[in-house]
Amino acid sequence: MDMSATLARILRDLPDGSGAALLGGDPVRCARLLGVDGIAVSLGTDGAPTELVWSTPGQSAALEDLQCTLGEGPGFDAYRHRTLIAIPDLQQAATHRWPAFLPEAGELGLGALFCFPLHLGAVSLGVLTVQRTNPSTLDPVQTNDALILAAAMTAALIRDSGQRASFARAEPHTSLHRAAVHQATGMISVQANVSLTEAMALLRAHAYRTERPLLTAAEDVVSRRLHFRDNRDGTATPSGNKD
Amino acid sequence: MTSQQRVLNILVEAVDTLTDDFDLIEFLHRLSLRCVELLDVDAVGLMIVDQHDELQLIAASDEKTHLLELFALQHAQGPCVRCYHSGQAQLNISLTTSAATAGFGPFAARARKAGFTTTHALPMKLRHQVVGAVNLFSTKINRLSASDIQIGQALADLATIAILQQRTIEHSHTEKAQLQSALSSRVVIEQAKGILSERQGLGLDETFDSMRAYARPRHLRLTELAQQVIDNTFEGNIAPAEIPERP
Repeated sequence: MDMSATLARILRDLPDGSGAALLGGDPVRCARLLGVDGIAVSLGTDGAPTELVWSTPGQSAALEDLQCTLGEGPGFDAYRHRTLIAIPDLQQAATHRWPAFLPEAGELGLGALFCFPLHLGAVSLGVLTVQRTNPSTLDPVQTNDALILAAAMTAALIRDSGQRASFARAEPHTSLHRAAVHQATGMISVQANVSLTEAMALLRAHAYRTERPLLTAAEDVVSRRLHFRDNRDGTATPSGNKD
Repeated sequence: MTSQQRVLNILVEAVDTLTDDFDLIEFLHRLSLRCVELLDVDAVGLMIVDQHDELQLIAASDEKTHLLELFALQHAQGPCVRCYHSGQAQLNISLTTSAATAGFGPFAARARKAGFTTTHALPMKLRHQVVGAVNLFSTKINRLSASDIQIGQALADLATIAILQQRTIEHSHTEKAQLQSALSSRVVIEQAKGILSERQGLGLDETFDSMRAYARPRHLRLTELAQQVIDNTFEGNIAPAEIPERP
């Protein structure tokens, strides 16, 4: 599959969230590439994607606000169930599913919505939502581009883990597919008594502090050379018997 | 049983399993076990392509972490990558001669260290598009016969069909979305393995077999079990698997 130069450029700019932004790159250019009228990324807090961090102005931002206000919508479901939700025609969507959301979304002038979860297995980070004013489907190329974008955003957000500024050394995205990384995440979540998302952040932060690749830190956890202890005050301490 | 009969049995079993809500990971794991059995090789892994067009492991005949890592090394180099890009089977590759392993030395070294001497890769194809590769490893010098290759290719095709016929994604049946969803199931299982191993004091290498042993008699999909473990709603007791299924 050949990736377009525009997509390549967007992907290159993504992790470079300079200033206050978590994600870099231009949402407007991104929307144009995907052939949609608007795009937004909201991150999860307290079990719902309520923190809007990146979007085109206008309808997309309003759409995210609307779901937060109502506490329901396809973005929430995509986030919770970690599944792609496609509504090519909002008028045709089953009203019982989002009784409060659908009429309001119609009022906003939205015709079609597509929500892509940003997640790594059961680690849910947020949701990427693209919308169109007119009802229509995303074609396979657009869907694939959106999936690539969602994966790149997930990698950029994982990489962040609170110390983005110092992250000159980018993690190869393939390490996010390695079994040991996910096994270690599961183990740390039990050791430190935290969610998988926090466990991933702990692992990432440890790798950064010790200046080693994520996979190496994960292998230390898996082979029980590194252990995270629950301090029972909301923090965790790594300890290891180095060999 | 002749090998022909065994192939037939496997095909019937497979068709029987591919119902609406079949367990993809269990299905692919079983398919890799059958592949080991029928082709007389020692390890089999199924690799499919991710959003970045790189190969990632989705299922293996043996879930020991060191083996999962060996397969994972092939995301960017190795016979599977060649197979994926060319669409052609890569057969009878000797891991012990440098000429045969040119271009993937580090992978070959790791494979030798794990005790393997021969490897093969068969394409996973849907119509004309390649979506992944089946990777075979053998500890002895082994050449696949023409009929072995046919059998291997039939199993590879079955795996492809299984992955691409999942119905988990609403209104969207693009191949990439299905491949991604399959890979995500894999990640959820690895996360659950980590949790279970820590919580129940199991070795990571046994956890997968233990999960299977628990899920199968209860008609629970592996991904559902993994999800319960992750959500902390799992109240059963996963004991170490007594006799893991071995070919």
